[in-house]
Amino acid sequence: MLVPMAKVEIIGHRDRLDDTLELLHRLRTMQLLDVTSTPGVRLPPLTVDEKQLRELEELRYLRARLDAILRMVPMPEPGHQSEIDRPVRSRSTDLRDLRADLEELGPTLEQLTQRLDDLRAEQQALPRYVATLRRLLPLVPELTQLGGYETAALLIESRHSGVLGDLNAEMTSAAGNLFDIITAQVDPDTIGAILVFPRQTADKVYALLGRVQVTRVRLPERFEGIPFRQALASMERRIDAVPAEVHQVQRAINDLVEPRRGWWATRSFIDARLNQLEAVRSIGTTRHVFVAVGWVPEPDLDALRSALEADVGPQVVMDQITVESDEEPPVLLRNPSPARPFELFVRLLSLPSYGTLDPTRLMFVFLPLFFGMMLGDIAYGLIVLALSLWAGRRFGARSPAMHDLARVLVYGSIWSVIWGAIYGEFLGSLGHQVFGLTPIWINREEAVQPLLLFALAVGAIHMTLGLVLGIWAAVRSKKRSELIERTGKLATLVGLFLLAGMASGQLPAGVLTPAVATVVLGLVGLMYVQGPLGLLLGPLEMISTVGNVLSYLRLAAIGLASVYLARVANELGAAGPIWVGVIVASLVHALNLALGTFSPTIQALRLHYVEFFATFYESGGRAFRPFGTPTVTPSHTPSV
Amino acid sequence: METGLIAIGAGLAVGLGAIATGIAQARIGSAGIGAIVEKPELLGRVILLIALPETLVILGFAVAAMVIMLLPS
Repeated sequence: MLVPMAKVEIIGHRDRLDDTLELLHRLRTMQLLDVTSTPGVRLPPLTVDEKQLRELEELRYLRARLDAILRMVPMPEPGHQSEIDRPVRSRSTDLRDLRADLEELGPTLEQLTQRLDDLRAEQQALPRYVATLRRLLPLVPELTQLGGYETAALLIESRHSGVLGDLNAEMTSAAGNLFDIITAQVDPDTIGAILVFPRQTADKVYALLGRVQVTRVRLPERFEGIPFRQALASMERRIDAVPAEVHQVQRAINDLVEPRRGWWATRSFIDARLNQLEAVRSIGTTRHVFVAVGWVPEPDLDALRSALEADVGPQVVMDQITVESDEEPPVLLRNPSPARPFELFVRLLSLPSYGTLDPTRLMFVFLPLFFGMMLGDIAYGLIVLALSLWAGRRFGARSPAMHDLARVLVYGSIWSVIWGAIYGEFLGSLGHQVFGLTPIWINREEAVQPLLLFALAVGAIHMTLGLVLGIWAAVRSKKRSELIERTGKLATLVGLFLLAGMASGQLPAGVLTPAVATVVLGLVGLMYVQGPLGLLLGPLEMISTVGNVLSYLRLAAIGLASVYLARVANELGAAGPIWVGVIVASLVHALNLALGTFSPTIQALRLHYVEFFATFYESGGRAFRPFGTPTVTPSHTPSV
Repeated sequence: METGLIAIGAGLAVGLGAIATGIAQARIGSAGIGAIVEKPELLGRVILLIALPETLVILGFAVAAMVIMLLPS
């Protein structure tokens, strides 16, 4: 149901503002309104004083620093999660200590992570150097031991081998005949070359190497200037040593961050305090008094009032004030826990506007029922039940949407088992063939006509229920045109049902006159409400209402498709040797199950959104966002 | 002969309805995904819009069912 909202005004001495805001933030029960834009309240907003401004700045700084570090801090154990959700002042650390700790830890951590990055880069790069050097090594002369000479290792693509001639000519002009180039094919695509030249010509040579199409093998800084053979050996030693160092640095980081899991709670405390300070702007003020205005769910009013009295004291009072006619209170859905998962589907479309009907409980009744009617197989139902129970347990804690979806599927699968018994289906007709399962009511595969009629009957009942609710809602909100339209639709439908009953011989011929009269009356109502175009639009409305009822045929059609696919699976399975048959049948059944879970969910949803909701639902509500709703926290990356 | 024609008629009723639904859903679907990328909160409404044209194939199915019921059993 939609929770009725009360508009309240909290007035108190300015000294008590901080305590009041902290309480409101903790209770999460009031959506604050900006006093400057609230009709009926004429007060200047409270300005943030210098002390608060400094606190704001300090908190923002601390939050930014914390966020940078929290990425490395593991989340608290699941049992302590609530400390993050509901920050409490008494448990918060002294912020000055925190700053000191952050300032001490920050640079150390930064250094360590930098070191870790470097080590990881080295871990990646060194093996590549080693591979290149190994290829070049056979070319390297022992010349390098001669003082005054430098060597450069080059790699040249084989198809650019002409470059070598150019290089030779250029080197002659740069270094006379005091140089040597030794080349060899290192692999089919690459020529390796070692260039030996006097140190005093180095600048010229390097500039020259930059111009021609060669790749100079540049060693990491620490290996530069030592002979290749030694460089290779020390690189190999280094490759062996790096993993241990990585491990060591990681441990050092862990040792630093592990004891600081509590920072997650500290961060949410800082967040809470920041929220409170930022909320100050929406509070009205006089010299001694503050005024906070907002929406509170009516059932929570007493709890809030007594909490204010107990925690803040008698200097603060709360009053309910009148809601102006042009104000629309925010919308909060509150349903008993079995129906709560279905709120997901209401929110998915759009919240109902305030003061209208909340369809959650109706969806709780009909959505799983429709799902079961379509899937209708004992074995499939049990498999979906097991899977959704598992998924709810596995992912439910992390994602509320997943939890809700799994719960919805649990209800759906239970109905699916029930309808499976009604249709006598266990993996299609396998249950009948193997252990003689017989339907309680009908076998879908054979009795198609009763199934179709049944689907239509379900549609008629569902639509009628929706229209009755719609009429009630229109009466309650005194909307005349909607009342006439919905009554017109209902009358037309009832009249048409009577005519259909008579045509099929179920009703006596005497109902003809009242049935036609009802249809005509309903049609006139539909035409009237459409205004000047009514003559054209009225009959169209009638046709679309009939179309909406026909749309429920999908309850039968989707189910039939699933039955036939199950039959295909069983027949394919029986066609070959037994082990091939079992595999093929399992695969087709799995496909059918996947389709049979997805499609009925979507179709059942659609029947609600398009056909059912059109009869009474009014969307357009704004969600209730109480002060204190948690903000997004930085995600922990467990790589360290 | 007549039975065959009735069966073809039933097939056409569902088949053409399905093609029409497919064409409509393809267009709505691609536009809808574009909209969801910009505003994820539209998901529910997009599902609704994508599901709308399915009425075509369901009506085709209704006609086919009625036509088949005419078949001599």
